[in-house]
Amino acid sequence: MTFPPVLDVDWSALAPAITLLVTAVATLFFALFHKDSRPVAGTALIGVVTAFVFALARFLEPGGQPASFGLRYFGDTWALGFTFVILVGTAVAILVSYDQLRRQDLERPEYYPLMLLSALGAVVMAAAGDLITLVLGLEIMSLPVYVLSAWRTRDRQSEEAGMKYFLLGAFGSAILIYGAALLYGAGGTFVYEGLVAALAGGELTLLATLGGALVLAGLGFKASLAPFHQWAPDVYTGAPTPVVTFMSVVVKAGAFAALLRIGATVFPQLAPWLMTALSVIVAATLIVGNLSALMQRGVKRILAYSAVAHAGYVGLALLAPEHGGVAAAAFYLTAYTVMNAGAFAVLTLMTDANDRGDALERFSGLGRTRPWLAASLTLFLLSLGGIPPLAGFAGKVLVFQAVIDAGYLWLAVLGILTSVVALVYYFRIIAHMYFRESEYEPPRLTSTATNVAIGVALAGTLLLGLFPGLWHDLLGAGQTLLAGL
Amino acid sequence: MISLYVVLVPLAVALLVTLLRANRPFVQALAVLGGVATFALALFLPGSEPVDAAWLPGLGVSFALDATGAGAVLVLVAALVMIPTLLVAATRVERNAAGFVALLLLAQAGLNGIFLAKDLIVFYVFWEATLIPALLLLGVYGGERRRQATLKYLVYAVAGSFLMLVSILALKGLSGAASFHVTDLMLVTPGLAPSAQTWLFVGMAVGMVVKLPLWPLHSWLVDLNEQNHPSGAADVLGSLYKVGAFGFFAWALPLLPAGALNVAPVLLALAAITAVYGALAAVAQEHLKRFLAYGSLSHMGIIGVGLFGLHLAGLNGAIYFLAAQMVSTSALFLVAGMLWHRRRSFLLRDYGGLAKGAPALAAVSLFLIFAYIGVPGLSNFPGEFMSLLGAFQSSPLPAAFATLAVIAAGVYGVNLYQRLFQGSTTVPTRDLGALELYVLVPFIAGVLWLGVSPAPQLRQIEQQAELTVLQLERAAAADGAVTAALPAAGGAR
Repeated sequence: MTFPPVLDVDWSALAPAITLLVTAVATLFFALFHKDSRPVAGTALIGVVTAFVFALARFLEPGGQPASFGLRYFGDTWALGFTFVILVGTAVAILVSYDQLRRQDLERPEYYPLMLLSALGAVVMAAAGDLITLVLGLEIMSLPVYVLSAWRTRDRQSEEAGMKYFLLGAFGSAILIYGAALLYGAGGTFVYEGLVAALAGGELTLLATLGGALVLAGLGFKASLAPFHQWAPDVYTGAPTPVVTFMSVVVKAGAFAALLRIGATVFPQLAPWLMTALSVIVAATLIVGNLSALMQRGVKRILAYSAVAHAGYVGLALLAPEHGGVAAAAFYLTAYTVMNAGAFAVLTLMTDANDRGDALERFSGLGRTRPWLAASLTLFLLSLGGIPPLAGFAGKVLVFQAVIDAGYLWLAVLGILTSVVALVYYFRIIAHMYFRESEYEPPRLTSTATNVAIGVALAGTLLLGLFPGLWHDLLGAGQTLLAGL
Repeated sequence: MISLYVVLVPLAVALLVTLLRANRPFVQALAVLGGVATFALALFLPGSEPVDAAWLPGLGVSFALDATGAGAVLVLVAALVMIPTLLVAATRVERNAAGFVALLLLAQAGLNGIFLAKDLIVFYVFWEATLIPALLLLGVYGGERRRQATLKYLVYAVAGSFLMLVSILALKGLSGAASFHVTDLMLVTPGLAPSAQTWLFVGMAVGMVVKLPLWPLHSWLVDLNEQNHPSGAADVLGSLYKVGAFGFFAWALPLLPAGALNVAPVLLALAAITAVYGALAAVAQEHLKRFLAYGSLSHMGIIGVGLFGLHLAGLNGAIYFLAAQMVSTSALFLVAGMLWHRRRSFLLRDYGGLAKGAPALAAVSLFLIFAYIGVPGLSNFPGEFMSLLGAFQSSPLPAAFATLAVIAAGVYGVNLYQRLFQGSTTVPTRDLGALELYVLVPFIAGVLWLGVSPAPQLRQIEQQAELTVLQLERAAAADGAVTAALPAAGGAR
């Protein structure tokens, strides 16, 4: 088959990524000569907002070519939708970091450029139309996060987190690259479009399916799907909370964006056992994530395991790409981004400067001592638990409807049963805040930047919950995941 | 639009009460104002314009509210009950009364949504959202063992309703309905295979039985009432929030008639057991609120009998009884709160002989107890009678068994009155105060209104019940046709 020329560049689709890159490089240079990280943070935020505006402009402009570089870099609804999610997550993470880094004595200006580069990688992953672009995006996204997780140098836990994440992450990348090589061997091309065409005949299915399975494992690692999730709780516990805010939403969004596109296009051409394997992985993620979270006593660890569990709910939608699963997953990730980032943002105002002290007891009586903070966290937790009319509920309804329509009723029932478990551990935090007297004076930290972040997250959680149609319609208007199909 | 306003007005007042953080008289005024405004709106509900706005069009969900049918009756009665309850909450809750009032109003908005929703997902949204204020009322304002009671309530309610959600989603997926709107669903869901309908019905029934509640999924209710705030205001919400029967009536029975026909005998038996069990257990209680909780459990059993008899009179009666018990049960819980205010105890052995010191309180309580046990001419009688009458038409044996509960009701009613008000005592007791009088007058009026003139409300309920019965009859006919046709088809092959 013939491809369009390689140098067909749609600059408007590339603009968000280029903006992130330019901002990151510029701030990095600035950081060489200045020790003050505040202007860097401000510039980074402006860069994110500019990238958002570019993405929005592209989103609202109908038509245009679907992809650049010979179908290797997409600028379609899905790519842009995930770009929005990634940018919102990044903006919230920057805001949360702004005062926290100073308080925790972690303020070094290179922090923000690294975060921007990682976000850039996630954006590239969401837009990737071939396996090489995907691998590039994955590495751009991952390398800065390895550094960020070990940001608290001279702290054993943080160093361990960085090291663990790096070693396992490198392993995950290697698996992904191996899978890409196998797919290339079977299909003779890296481009999804070409792979779909080449594999449609049904020859070389075993080789290609093995490749697909390895790609699934590699991306499943970043998305923290069980059994590839085991790094997540330790890294989330060890890394500074603002970094966790970033990782738990942006890295996950990037990984799922890539997984959705490849899963909805290439995977259906492969042997059916791959989907069966995926359904088992998703089921395991739901069970392991939720039951482990139930056992935790620290709020940060509860949220860490619940982040694993939520990967399972998004994963449900992966199984139903033809039944609205892609839009459902994109919606769920948006909802997850705002509610989870919001919960972590509240957490930064509660813990000690070294991120310790997240015990449930510390939240006792918060409803009386800090009513607004407690109310915000309650809304985030209820939304994470899937209580209407909040964002998480609309996401769950969409995901479950897709997975039921695709014929996985048992997974929907499993998802619901594990959701009951999830509500128990989320509600345990709420019960501590409202049903107990405070045992000691809570930390009285305040931070305008963090408050703005919480406000943004709260607005998102409520808007997506009360008017889910607005965002879902935009996603639902999205076309197919491949330009030619 | 009025059906939208009865949801929005309590919400707005709740927000006002929270944000203004006013002093007590202001909270009292605002609470009563919110209650009265909602009641006034509810009066104009019948015949008002339906609301239908796109909500999640990608999934076929529209924000549809409509006041035709039984919903408007329940909204009206609930609004009547809420006025005095809000006053009690604003007056008798010592700490953060504004929060209590706001939670009550939030719950009322949610309840109105449950009763008026015409889209199954929107119904579920309200159903589930109302749980949160109820949980917080129990957890924040409850007694010693409130945390255990809250956890129990949470797990029962959520486990049930999440299964219901799977059923709801599968209902549309399997039937291929155009949307979740009741008219779209009603067109296709009765055509589902009976076995599929049975499973879907069971899924929905789990959630609804928990909130009906029926034995053996009832135990959260007793703990909830025991641990709720002693003023009784939160228990009123408890008696309004028993929406399981309405869920069956408005959704599960008409949407899945073949499933209902298969499962109803089991539920009917459970309901009959609940009716008798609740009545017997009530007499054995030492705690006043547990006593009332078991008594009302017995009522819910009779409502279940009326529903699952699947007969027009029974369905009408069940929903009428549901509305009536809102008044009588709530009133007695508030009386219990008044007694607690005098003696700081709910233990029945601490009482006795109150009639001497407080004759007016005793008289009103006797009146309310009469209503509670279903004396003719008062609120509970028409619904209870019709529930049993309907069930007798279709399944006489369980109905006869459930009727034992009516006899037992006489026993526990008299028992309750004796233990509280008769006998001798040396402790002086205040009689009804002005506030308490204001609180009780709407209840007395409600008991008389629902007891003396049930016809207008019953007519409204019957509009909807007739549709349900029609669906059931069609399913029964189709079932017969299928069984008759099967051998023929087999022979042809």
